[in-house]
Amino acid sequence: MIRFEKVTKTYPGQGHAALRDVSVDVEKGEFIFLVGSSGSGKSTFLRLVLREYRPTSGRVYVAGKEINRMAGWKVPRLRRQIGTVFQDFRLLPNKTVTENVAFALQVIGKSRGHINRVVPETLELVGLDGKGHRMPDELSGGEQQRVAIARAFVNRPMILIADEPTGNLDPTTSVGIMKLLDRINRTGTTVVMATHDAGIVDQMRKRVIELDHGTVIRDEAQGVYGLPNR
Amino acid sequence: MPLRYVFTELFQGLRRNLSMHLAVVLTLFVSLTLVGLGVLLNQQAAKAEAYWGSQLQITVFLCRDRDDNPSCNGEVTDAQKEAILDVVETNPEVAGHYLESKEEAFEKVKEIFGEEPFSGPNPAADVDSMPEAIWIELVDPRDFEGITSAVIGLDGVSSIRDLRHALAPIYASINVLKWGALGIAGFLVLAAILLVGNTIRLAAVARRREIGIMRLVGASTLYIALPFLLESLVSAIIGVGLAAGALGAFMYFGVHQRISVFIDFLPWIGVDEYLFAVAGIAILGPMLTMLPTLALIRKYVKV
Repeated sequence: MIRFEKVTKTYPGQGHAALRDVSVDVEKGEFIFLVGSSGSGKSTFLRLVLREYRPTSGRVYVAGKEINRMAGWKVPRLRRQIGTVFQDFRLLPNKTVTENVAFALQVIGKSRGHINRVVPETLELVGLDGKGHRMPDELSGGEQQRVAIARAFVNRPMILIADEPTGNLDPTTSVGIMKLLDRINRTGTTVVMATHDAGIVDQMRKRVIELDHGTVIRDEAQGVYGLPNR
Repeated sequence: MPLRYVFTELFQGLRRNLSMHLAVVLTLFVSLTLVGLGVLLNQQAAKAEAYWGSQLQITVFLCRDRDDNPSCNGEVTDAQKEAILDVVETNPEVAGHYLESKEEAFEKVKEIFGEEPFSGPNPAADVDSMPEAIWIELVDPRDFEGITSAVIGLDGVSSIRDLRHALAPIYASINVLKWGALGIAGFLVLAAILLVGNTIRLAAVARRREIGIMRLVGASTLYIALPFLLESLVSAIIGVGLAAGALGAFMYFGVHQRISVFIDFLPWIGVDEYLFAVAGIAILGPMLTMLPTLALIRKYVKV
């Protein structure tokens, strides 16, 4: 589903590489944690998957397509297959919960009938049924993140990218969000989650890829956040 | 593509940024009006020159008895007249000529000033005080110096009247007005482009959250850019409309009802020229707003 082949990314004007010679293969339906300290290259990894950047060298494949050679006008089509969730939720404050989720479908040209059917379904899936008319600032942090996940998942993407989705949430709420991501993963969606949350990683026992200064230093199935001796 | 979102965004954008859009519209209005005026004046100059140019004649006055010109020794003789006509006929710049007799000249003067001054015991002029004249039509009205210099020194020639000298100030003032209008329009066009740039920048900043989400969920660049382009287009259309109205008012109240009444010896621009000028600003106006918008969209809304 996602394949990095000897990918190096150096940002213009910076001497050292943000990612160096990274090779990773993520299968369809996998759930992986991307861990590592700040500046280790997690965000760069996610942005390369989204084709926000092109690698300096190496190849990135997403859903079987080599996306660093993809023409610019095809990028929107790629991103419709990828849902994205952020630490800061990124909801539109002047739209209701329903409108926020529907927005993601409106702007890619889905019909109103489709939107009216899919949005309530998705809100129910994330546990927000009955709260569609609320404004984002009337919701708790966990609920806001559920809206963001609903927006990312409403178009049933093949891949869900989550950049520290529990970074702003308390542990109890975080567990709820992780249960939700797990449920989404079990529908067949590949989930790539960058996180600093050791407790969650240790609890979930999924594949862990650890980055340090732009290189993969660990890639283990059913891993934990940090090695015992670190 | 369902356009509901696009139009909602368009109206929101216009409302949110109303003062900037008004500034763009007003600047466009004034600059396009001036551009249109420049185009109209250009056509007026061309029209006047075509008219006067086609009828432009140099008049060679021949010596008369007691001529004002001291180099005249009395009335032009037949031999002198022959010599002058010979020069005129053989000159390649001359398209045609016509000899006006004293009688014809006197009739013309009476026609202009009326019979009264020339009747009674003490008339202002009589037939004999009129000069004979040769009216010369030129092949190219711009080439008049050759024939003028060939004729001026000949015996029996008193003076040469060149209508170009009379018309030059009119042409010159039309030209000054034209370039003045276009020059000021140039600065205002620059101001309009900068204003459009600022407006789009503000709109992009106001909408950066939406734009960020649209990019992430895979909205096409066109879809993201469309509200911006439409905002620019709306400003341009209003600006063009106002300018067309102002030019129409200028044509009707200025040219049609006033100037052409006072100065009726010139042919004046009409509906055709007005439509040409409006077509010009209708093309220029949207270009002035769309091109900077497109350039900035590449910067702010790049996927």
